[in-house]
Amino acid sequence: MIEALQYLTIAWFDPKLLGLVALGTFAGIYVGAIPGLSVTMAVSILISFTFAWEVYPALCLMVGIYMGGVYGGSRTAILLNIPGAPSAIATALDGYPLAQKGQAGEAIGLSTVMSFVGGFIGIGVLAFAAPFVSEFALTFQPRDYMLLAILGILLVGSLSGESLLKGIFAGSLGLLIGAVGLDPLTAQERFTFGVVELWGGISFIAVMIGLFGVSEALTQLHHVDKAAIKQTVGRIVPSWGAIRKVLPLSVQTSSIGVIIGALPGTGGDIAALMAYDHAKRVTKAPEVPFGEGAQEGLVAPETANNAAVGGAFIPMLTLGIPGDAVTAIIIGALFIHGLNPGPMLMIEQPQMFWFITGALMLANVFMLIFGLTGIRLLTRIVEMPRTVLIPLILLLSIVGAYAVNNAITDVYWMLLFGAFGYLLKTYGYQLGPVILGVILSRLIDENWRRAIISDQESLGLLLRGIVTSPLSLVLLLAVLFVFFSQTPVWTGWRARRAALRASGDGI
Amino acid sequence: MPEPTKKKPGETAFALFLVGLSGFLLWQAWGIAGFEALSSPGAFPMAVTFTMLLSSGPILFRTLRVADRAPLRFFTDIAPPVILIMFAMMLGYAFLLKPLGFLPTSLAFLTLSILGLRRRGLAWSFGVSLVSLALVYLVFRIVFTVLMPQGIVPEGEILAWLGGLFSSGGAP
Repeated sequence: MIEALQYLTIAWFDPKLLGLVALGTFAGIYVGAIPGLSVTMAVSILISFTFAWEVYPALCLMVGIYMGGVYGGSRTAILLNIPGAPSAIATALDGYPLAQKGQAGEAIGLSTVMSFVGGFIGIGVLAFAAPFVSEFALTFQPRDYMLLAILGILLVGSLSGESLLKGIFAGSLGLLIGAVGLDPLTAQERFTFGVVELWGGISFIAVMIGLFGVSEALTQLHHVDKAAIKQTVGRIVPSWGAIRKVLPLSVQTSSIGVIIGALPGTGGDIAALMAYDHAKRVTKAPEVPFGEGAQEGLVAPETANNAAVGGAFIPMLTLGIPGDAVTAIIIGALFIHGLNPGPMLMIEQPQMFWFITGALMLANVFMLIFGLTGIRLLTRIVEMPRTVLIPLILLLSIVGAYAVNNAITDVYWMLLFGAFGYLLKTYGYQLGPVILGVILSRLIDENWRRAIISDQESLGLLLRGIVTSPLSLVLLLAVLFVFFSQTPVWTGWRARRAALRASGDGI
Repeated sequence: MPEPTKKKPGETAFALFLVGLSGFLLWQAWGIAGFEALSSPGAFPMAVTFTMLLSSGPILFRTLRVADRAPLRFFTDIAPPVILIMFAMMLGYAFLLKPLGFLPTSLAFLTLSILGLRRRGLAWSFGVSLVSLALVYLVFRIVFTVLMPQGIVPEGEILAWLGGLFSSGGAP
């Protein structure tokens, strides 16, 4: 216990690590606050510069960017009605009406404090639950890992996009990209086309920066002529009375955030929407109606999306399964640093777990400090013209892709994936499932092969193993449910039922 | 989220390309180990590429059936000149990065792209680019110690000279 506490506080007393968490949090808030630039972009570009570093400093920067980015997205949601990140969509519903009433400062202040509260609840649950989850995960069979990973990709693919088919295609494409190179078990070439450079696979960094850095920057070029909108804020620090009023609700919505964040494949965006829905149901008599500037409607998504950060680290660190695109990128970065997220991490390197938890706590504190003190400075930076910002992002993307292996080939791969990602995005394919697929490809492949070998190459035996194990059965049913609940047959049936009910009410 | 009922320009060609790509990759995956065993190195790639084909096929079918989004055009709304030019400039940057080095290539890239996007004169663009590059260099090259190609600017010697200047200046 004392050892855990020591590891937890390493970053707190080391000025360099402390500074890096602060820098990461600030960069995350800044990028998250720029409309159109996502936290995924910030993480993908910035962490590529940290691969040559020692693992502790690199982790500090990553954790800071993630925490700051999730919070930063709320800023533009409140001020401009443009969510900076998907997790801030629900924030705009009541945040923007508050800003329209001239209460932008109060809204930002309250959302900052409540994000801090939510963040701490999430991290607290991570610290207490992860050791148990990790112990439980030791009982997982290879088939369970395989099913869990498929569930994760399917959830990301089906919940975030406009079409299940496009989500499935995107996830499969990611799995395929992850399979390029020499087979880790037999060293047989897969999709290498005789090119020796492809034996090691396609650089994960190149794919990641291409998909989230270049393609997003190219998309932003469509709006390059739009002038940066001046952002005005008044009073910032919320009153104790305002905080006390929403505190009980924030505990409930934080719990929703942690649980949803901890499910593989679901992240802050879904958590925030569910928390908003919960707030609407439990708040019987709001002072201001929901959708017109209710404080409860602002607090619920903000606490939930920050609580989901701690939640998302649970499957990431204990199972090695990312919750969303950002955690997928962080897992990839951990692999590059020689860490192997999964149940063994807690046993072999518990110091890493506690260190990450400590850095998250620190990032949460910095988020509060920067959120409350740096609002005016941040609004100035956010007003930086896109005509300067986009070339800089593109420049950093190239530098980031090159810096990892000092290889120009990686830059070409990045550009290829940038252009491809831009087209995918333009035509309605989600990029999150692609990166999740790249990260989970090896895990699914290896566990599938382990599972089928242990069942003597018999699909029948594998299926029998699944239906006779409660955990495997639950996972299989979850996969089937997610799949069929998005098919036209099911959605059509539900629409017909709703229409029938509506016509029944009308009579 | 409901699916759009109209397609964008180039969407059919892109969907067709994805079907072709999936088919080609399935054929490649089959070439890895055929149907040798369920645990063979080719089994997972075959399953994945088959899923790609299985999903891209209906997407193409659906795309073919829906009507065009009338006023949109490919080279004005999907790939307008600004995007094509910026992409070409990035390719040029990547091509020149090694022979010319990080500093001159980046300065040229930033100046030209800011000039093209902002249209506020060469001097302004150059000034902004110089300041931005100095910041990028300071953060990533000096603080983050990221190694970048040196090219025609003797960067190492300049840094060593600067370092020497400071250390000799600081000595008693």
